[in-house]
Amino acid sequence: MLACAVKLEYKGFVQNNPEVYAGSRTIFSKGNKLGIVQKVNSCRMKGVVLVLPPFAYYQPETLAEAVNLLAELPEPKKVLAGGTDILPAMRKGELTAEHLVSLQRLTELSQIELWDGNVRIGALVTFRELATSPLIQKACNLLAEAAASVGGPQVRNQGTIGGNIVNASPAGDLLPPLFALEAQVRVCRRGGERILPLSEFLLGMGKTLILPEEILTGVIFPALPERAAGSFVKLGRRNSLAISRISMAAVITRTPDGDIEDARLVLGASAPRPVRAPAAEALLRGKYPGPALLEQVVASIAETVAAILGDRPSAPYKRVAVKGVARQALLKVVPEFGQWN
Amino acid sequence: MKTVRFKATINNRPVDLLIAPNRRLLDVLREDLGLTGTKEGCGEGECGACTVLLDGRPVNSCLVLAPEASGRQITTIEGLAADGRLHPIQEAFLEAGAVQCGFCTPGMILAAKALLDENPRPDGQAIKTAISGNLCRCTGYVKIVAAIRLAAAKLAGEEGAR
Repeated sequence: MLACAVKLEYKGFVQNNPEVYAGSRTIFSKGNKLGIVQKVNSCRMKGVVLVLPPFAYYQPETLAEAVNLLAELPEPKKVLAGGTDILPAMRKGELTAEHLVSLQRLTELSQIELWDGNVRIGALVTFRELATSPLIQKACNLLAEAAASVGGPQVRNQGTIGGNIVNASPAGDLLPPLFALEAQVRVCRRGGERILPLSEFLLGMGKTLILPEEILTGVIFPALPERAAGSFVKLGRRNSLAISRISMAAVITRTPDGDIEDARLVLGASAPRPVRAPAAEALLRGKYPGPALLEQVVASIAETVAAILGDRPSAPYKRVAVKGVARQALLKVVPEFGQWN
Repeated sequence: MKTVRFKATINNRPVDLLIAPNRRLLDVLREDLGLTGTKEGCGEGECGACTVLLDGRPVNSCLVLAPEASGRQITTIEGLAADGRLHPIQEAFLEAGAVQCGFCTPGMILAAKALLDENPRPDGQAIKTAISGNLCRCTGYVKIVAAIRLAAAKLAGEEGAR
């Protein structure tokens, strides 16, 4: 009935108002009686309201209650954390959930702790909390840098690390640093839990190994040792409120003499999920940092990216732009890359 | 669809409603409570026009499911003026000429309030970061930054506080 009313509304309105097409979102696809693709800006005009589809909402008080609930509810069901990705996706019809289980009351998932040399971060920790946590800034600064680069302050107050992982966007900004830190994820369901490397869990393009009845409860990884440092650099279309066009996370461990002992370089937003650059990592191992080595490594990273991108439309831009991103990330983590001896 | 109870403190006043769960905080504020100072721009967290303070922190009310805001403190632009007098941040925006079409203004002012509550003497960079989640297509931001500087001075009682 709504669809019918919408068509009648549009009949006179759309034909006389070509600017209606100028908006950003398709709410009906081709094939309606008017034979046009209708796009509107906010989906609110002439009484047309794009609302969230109906669903049943649950707010369990404990993790045990939440996993029990998820085990019993029929599909389609979805777990709600910050909601910054899920809500727009549900309004656009890209994601359906008849049962929505909110994690909001599970304060046990909001902790950041250092335990036995490992950093443990609960799934509900927000980008703001990551960006401002002294523990994160000290133990894994690159994760704080990445969290501070997400969206704007409003999104950082609301969005969570768990959501960033499960949403599995190719441009998810926490993913390259978590890959570089070799993080593992903890996933719980009724009667069990599993811990597996993020690099196995994350399939990319919105897909992970999570089951509908499971909750990602947190991530865990070793804190960076004294002799290691990390960085994250992101290139977007603007400085704030931008989705990464390309990004890089670097973790470099050095020997007491200053040589590079180990390097982990991870590229974001260039493939369905973050990718390591093993050739560039090998070039760094055992060498002392300097400008000549930097340029060799940057060229190697650009080759890796060119191979991944193939002839995608963004390739000519990204295979050049990645050089700047890589140079910045490496200089930030090891200033000697810029110093001639 | 089963309704849920929405009980919160909005602009220091208690609110107790039964709502359908598929409503955004933005919808409840504007449609159920008539607080239309909160604007809907993009509807997907890119513009900041719908900014409100949730427990003192700015969030996009278009990205907050209304039941998730239950039990919390919410401040909208309507909550700033007291006893018929504008809040010093609102005064500063008018005096500095930081308002043109006005659509971004409620969100900008709430982002500024969250900043000044936390950091009463922000530098230019802190101000720019604080409003980096709010788009303005009229002013070019220069006068908004100037207004927030002026508001900080007013709140510190250095000038204009009468």
